[in-house]
Amino acid sequence: MRKFLDGLYATSGWLAGLSMIGILLMVLLTIISRILGFSAPGTDAYAGYAMAGAGFLALASTLKRGEHIRVTLVLGMLKGKARKALELAALAIATLLAGFLAYYSARLVWQSWQFDDISVGIDATPLWIPQIVMALGTAIFFIAFLDEFVLELLGKRTQPTQEEYNYE
Amino acid sequence: MSEIAVSVTLVIVLFALLGGSVWVGLTLCGVALFGMEMFSSRPAGDAMAMTIWGSSSSWTLTALPLFVWMGEILYRTNLSESMFRGLAPWVNALPGRLLHTNVIGCTIFASVSGSSAATCATVGKMNIPELRKRGYPDEQIIGSLGGPATLGLLIPPSIILIVYGVAAEASIAKLFMAGVLPGLLLAGLFSGWLMLWALRNPDKVPKADDSLTFKQKLWESRHLIPVVVLIASVVASIYTGVATATEAAAIGVVGAFILSASQGALNWQTFRDSLLGATRLYCMIALILAGAAFLTLSMGYIGLPRQLAEFVGSLNLSPAMLILALGLFYIVIGCFLDGISTIVLTMGVVLPIIQAAGIDPIWFGIFLVITVETAQITPPVGFNLFVLQSMTGKQITYIARVCAPYFLLMVAALVLLWFFPGLATWLPSQM
Amino acid sequence: QTQWDMATAYPAFNFHTQNNVQFAKDVQAATNGALDITVHSGASLFKAPEIKRAVQGGQAQVGEFFMVSFQNEWPLFGLDGLPFLASSWEDARKLYEAQKPALEKKLDQQNMVLLYSVAWPPQGIYTKQPITSAADLKGMKWRVYSPTTARIGELLGAQPVTIQEAELSQALATGVVDGLISSSATGADNKLYEHLKYYYNVQAWIPKNAVVVNKRAFNALDADTQAAVRKAAAEAEARGWEAAKAVDAKSIATLQDNGMVVEPGTEQLRRDLAALGQTIVQEWLNNAGDDGKTVLDAFHAAR
Ligand code: NA
Ligand code: NA
Repeated sequence: MRKFLDGLYATSGWLAGLSMIGILLMVLLTIISRILGFSAPGTDAYAGYAMAGAGFLALASTLKRGEHIRVTLVLGMLKGKARKALELAALAIATLLAGFLAYYSARLVWQSWQFDDISVGIDATPLWIPQIVMALGTAIFFIAFLDEFVLELLGKRTQPTQEEYNYE
Repeated sequence: MSEIAVSVTLVIVLFALLGGSVWVGLTLCGVALFGMEMFSSRPAGDAMAMTIWGSSSSWTLTALPLFVWMGEILYRTNLSESMFRGLAPWVNALPGRLLHTNVIGCTIFASVSGSSAATCATVGKMNIPELRKRGYPDEQIIGSLGGPATLGLLIPPSIILIVYGVAAEASIAKLFMAGVLPGLLLAGLFSGWLMLWALRNPDKVPKADDSLTFKQKLWESRHLIPVVVLIASVVASIYTGVATATEAAAIGVVGAFILSASQGALNWQTFRDSLLGATRLYCMIALILAGAAFLTLSMGYIGLPRQLAEFVGSLNLSPAMLILALGLFYIVIGCFLDGISTIVLTMGVVLPIIQAAGIDPIWFGIFLVITVETAQITPPVGFNLFVLQSMTGKQITYIARVCAPYFLLMVAALVLLWFFPGLATWLPSQM
Repeated sequence: QTQWDMATAYPAFNFHTQNNVQFAKDVQAATNGALDITVHSGASLFKAPEIKRAVQGGQAQVGEFFMVSFQNEWPLFGLDGLPFLASSWEDARKLYEAQKPALEKKLDQQNMVLLYSVAWPPQGIYTKQPITSAADLKGMKWRVYSPTTARIGELLGAQPVTIQEAELSQALATGVVDGLISSSATGADNKLYEHLKYYYNVQAWIPKNAVVVNKRAFNALDADTQAAVRKAAAEAEARGWEAAKAVDAKSIATLQDNGMVVEPGTEQLRRDLAALGQTIVQEWLNNAGDDGKTVLDAFHAAR
């Protein structure tokens, strides 16, 4: 289970990285098509979808590395049980909110499919397709929070390493 | 329920969630959800998903992740080190020495990027480690990044000036021109403050290297060539029409790769680290942006900013008092909402008031953008604060405190703008 | 008291927005405040591409959308964006009447009710260099923003450039774009005269906005209130079309006052464009099928 979850977060993190490359390629294609005078319709829209991929698919891996920011002022002042209680409360609220986000993101895909919602741009993409990355990313984000909550409850949660904080 | 009671309740919920160490992006979602459920009759979920999707996939924002990536690539080259070597001989004579590289770096990068977060992330990624390595105090490193990075909004190109121009029926070309002098004025104020601080705290500024002759200084400046070429090509791509301001970020990424390859720093590991590092930093910002988009929607339904603006309008103030009241209004609301949202939510109400008072819309646009700049560094919700927290690991209260002088400098700039309106209106009138 | 939110994308000074605000006031007066509509202008609630769906899903009870934008979804939404099909105000009105039954049916299927539809001023060609025929547009950097404008560019042999509205004025200043099709009003609002010299008032097409209400929200009103809304909507429609004409005249004057050369376009240019229009209408018909044919036949009969 542990292995599966970590694999899930890592995979979606890599997909987010690929999306980031996608943004670059789409924007470059827009520029090059204009210079060379060929038509590359819809690249602006695809760059936007790729950006959504980069943002949403990285949610879980960013959380697991402790890079989503929070204000830990009060938390830092507490010790022992009080600290654990606040940490659990924060994780519970965050899990609920992430679940809310994930549920309605999935509903968005479903409704776009039902409404036949199509991009108004030249790309004419059925919107449920790119919106899958939002549903997927937020669902994995929810799982990651649930994971953190359970680990904290069991006392097995390791504080994310903050190596990136110091550049040296 | 009165507007004041609604505002107070929402602020309490915001502080409770933030103080309870709930992640910032989710906190904003939580406040938005609470507000919509409590103070409007509209169901929140579907509208939230639609809005978040719209803002997260909007082409206009694509420059942000790309600039973040550019910063991550450059951080893995020795560009910042050579830039510091090139600049050091020149700024060493100034009190505050290399701290000025933050102001200079932000001012230059602001002419490439239209957003404050991108400016903060890119310049910060390069400058923070170099300045720390040289022994400059954290409080000044962080403050002199957080404040000046907001220039990304004022110095053209600027996303927010475009948003304002469209709403106010003002010429975007003129607004861009109007932002130049106030932008430089602010940069000057920031540098001036650094000098003042350095003169009063000489022991906190690391020693300069040996003084050089003018010729030696020029020779040292050769280290600036890579960074100058990189920035110049991005700027040139915009002004020659090769790329739009949004697309220029992609030119920046390609340029950063070329630079990295030419230094032999580009390999699989640096590529992977820069890519995944950039994706995560962007993701951190994107979650907060998503929360901010939902909060904006919630505010739109509740109508709070609009009612407050209507209230200001109903006071029938003289132009001077009106500007004072609006300045206060935008600064206070900027503590809690991000700047572009505030403008979008209130323009419909505020513009007619401004027109009726006979205030120049170009001037007002610049005034507004400076208030929005303050919003980037005022707690509890300030994007530059969050970016700096993520890059330095410091508490947000600490970052807000070290950025506070820059907030006051911006307020001073607002006052100067009132007494010398030509700062904003002179350049565009020459067009 | 019932409260509705009306989502619109255009800024407060725009004539569509002003017309919508008046509509909301009329409804409030006619129902003695029983129905209160808040107009959220300038995309402050939802952005342009989201508004139709927001009304469909009930996130906003009322909304205004630009029909041509939605032709990917249903070709008939793009009817009033077909070039040189209806180039005068009278024809545009007839086209609307012909389109209306199919439009209402489609919106009904999508859980919406059409309240009114108001035109934009006619579309003309903006260029940096003077043109006398379609051949002069060949190779020009041509701004495209929709399937139709892309197809026009392709048929003209122009070089298509995708530029979003937000970056239009900068793109013109730096020479990314040197020609585009847009209305006189958009040209005046975006101050296109700062960068372009010529406006050919060829009246390529007269597109419309639709103001729609969520069906469930509308049906929840009592009969009197529904009638009041219908009445105010009819007035808004009449008022809006008149305003569009006035705005067209005023915008053309603004363009001229700011040094732009405004011309009707040469005979040759108009002939070339008419031929191009026929190609596009034919392609549209192939795509739109029987529904499209019925509407077009009704339009030609009314002419
Ligand atoms: Na800028
Ligand atoms: Na703030």
